[in-house]
Amino acid sequence: MSKSLSGVSRRDVIKTVAGVSFFPTVAFSKSSQKRESAKVVIVGGGYGGITAAKYLKKENPNLSVILVEERPFFMSCPLSNHFLAGLMELTPLCFAYNVLEVKHGVKIIRDKVLAVELDKRAVRTSQGYIHYDFLILSPGIDYDIEDKPFYTETLVYYPPAFKPGSEHIYLKRLLSEFEGGDIVITVPPPPYRCPPAPYERAALIADMIKRNKLKAHLYFIDANERPLINSEGFMSAYYDLYKDVATYITSAEVKDVDVRKRIVKTSHGDFRFDIANIIPPMKANNLLASAGLLKKREKWVSVNPLTFETHVENVFVIGDACVSYLPKSGYAAHSEGKVVAKILSARLKGKEVKEELLQMVCYAMVSDKEAIMTETSFKYEREKGRFIPIHREDNERKESTAKRYIEWAKGLWRDMFG
Amino acid sequence: MDRRGFIRTCGVIAVASFLDARFFSEALANQEGLLKTYNKALLTKEDGSPISEKDILPHKEYIFFYPYASTPCFLLNLGDEVKGAEIKLNDGQVYLWKGGVGTKKSIVAYSAICSHQWSYPTREYAFINYYPPDKASETTKRASVIQCCAHLSVFDPKMGGKVLEGPAEVPLASIVLQEEDGKFYAVGVLGKDQFDAFFENYKTDLRKEYGSSAKAKQLVDKCSVVEVERYVKELIRC
Repeated sequence: MSKSLSGVSRRDVIKTVAGVSFFPTVAFSKSSQKRESAKVVIVGGGYGGITAAKYLKKENPNLSVILVEERPFFMSCPLSNHFLAGLMELTPLCFAYNVLEVKHGVKIIRDKVLAVELDKRAVRTSQGYIHYDFLILSPGIDYDIEDKPFYTETLVYYPPAFKPGSEHIYLKRLLSEFEGGDIVITVPPPPYRCPPAPYERAALIADMIKRNKLKAHLYFIDANERPLINSEGFMSAYYDLYKDVATYITSAEVKDVDVRKRIVKTSHGDFRFDIANIIPPMKANNLLASAGLLKKREKWVSVNPLTFETHVENVFVIGDACVSYLPKSGYAAHSEGKVVAKILSARLKGKEVKEELLQMVCYAMVSDKEAIMTETSFKYEREKGRFIPIHREDNERKESTAKRYIEWAKGLWRDMFG
Repeated sequence: MDRRGFIRTCGVIAVASFLDARFFSEALANQEGLLKTYNKALLTKEDGSPISEKDILPHKEYIFFYPYASTPCFLLNLGDEVKGAEIKLNDGQVYLWKGGVGTKKSIVAYSAICSHQWSYPTREYAFINYYPPDKASETTKRASVIQCCAHLSVFDPKMGGKVLEGPAEVPLASIVLQEEDGKFYAVGVLGKDQFDAFFENYKTDLRKEYGSSAKAKQLVDKCSVVEVERYVKELIRC
């Protein structure tokens, strides 16, 4: 079990929370002191950061909320496999950050955060320091490639497309220009961003081979022994629909990628490819390690799982970068953004707020028209300090589920940008 | 005092009389901001004649638009008497929902805009629906509920639209109905309505369907009641 800076493991954090509280009735308002004004700085304009910013301003119109984001526009990772497979244009996935400024009064600073300096209570950008009273870090992931240098070159030839933006656009181009041959997709071990995403992508690329009647084969190389979620639904789709055009290789470790010879070397043999989508292992955004929120060898930031607060008071980490009971996904980050906004609002008003357990809904396409889905709620075992997921999977592929998938995403976007 | 005024100030006395007086006055004070009266609008059949109790079949899902021309509501006959309930919001506010109307007190109405992320029945799709007792949801296994299939928020139409499970944080707003001489009227909206978010999020869609935002926001004084399955091309149940 990894240890956080304070020497408290995540499990201990959970235990401590359980020890002092009588879930779900006790509040987690730390100080009962009201604040007249405060400045909240949010780093990262993804699902978590945007939601936290919007809800903080909605609850506290006079609060100064600053969102620092490097990219000029938001692009959604959820539904981006639709774009890659040609089921959707890129435009519906893109939104302008200025909406948050115009509609809600969030101040948007378009800049790269160079460092988070916790001792100064400030973040440093190319334009200088931005000081905060409360800090919400929602910077997402980085690819974890230090131990495996071959990934460095792979990244520029065959983009993973797990960070929204040009990676997707270039992978889409590779797929559009593909006329036949072999495709390789590799899946890293967990945890990584959006557990069903590689499985959905494999299904959609196999579907594309079939639909376009290409002389092609997909080698889908998975570090895991089966799909991490909706296993039954994915496996039956692979078997029923794609057994002629795809091979699923499980429990295979990627050892090397030779981008010139176009070969992936794995524990299960070598695979030649014409195009590839190499998805490397992932870790919390590098910013967090340099901020001192990660110990050596730790990949993700430990937080109080119910409040998303780090060991540093009033510093929160939400979204894919933290360790929580929720899987890494846009939906979870969005829900966490709401929770943290509630907690901060309560602290500002000197009020208490009830603890709550979040829920997850995930969809995945298994063909160009059909999808499967999972709903997960969580039970909190106070005595053992454990969160128990209760999955309700719908593994029967249906067109109606694919329509719900779109509505699911649109709902999130309405909530963030509406 | 006229009927509408009666509702605004103490419309739920009959239901609330079993509660102690202190609670009652508190609830009413809070209710002030949560009960909004609009035009008294007659509910009609599609031919324009007043709808009567026998036209509202038990457990069938009907839609009408109130208080604005574009804001959809469900009309449901739940079969048996639906008693009033005290509704508590997360922020501590409390209001009293008066239960069903009609001779059996079994007829209720709710805003059909999901209080989570505002999915609503369009001409194309309805992701939010009523699940009658004999057709439980395949996913949540619940029946006699209103459920939104986008994120699986589930609401209880027998309990003032209370959230039973899922990510919704507030109940569905209920539509205050009145029955007079066998005719049914919508007179107001009780609870946290989602109209601002609805108009903001669906500006483009509403403009397309109604011609302009102003037309979509027109207050109605008559509501045509239609079966949802006749109004919507595809009901998405889950």
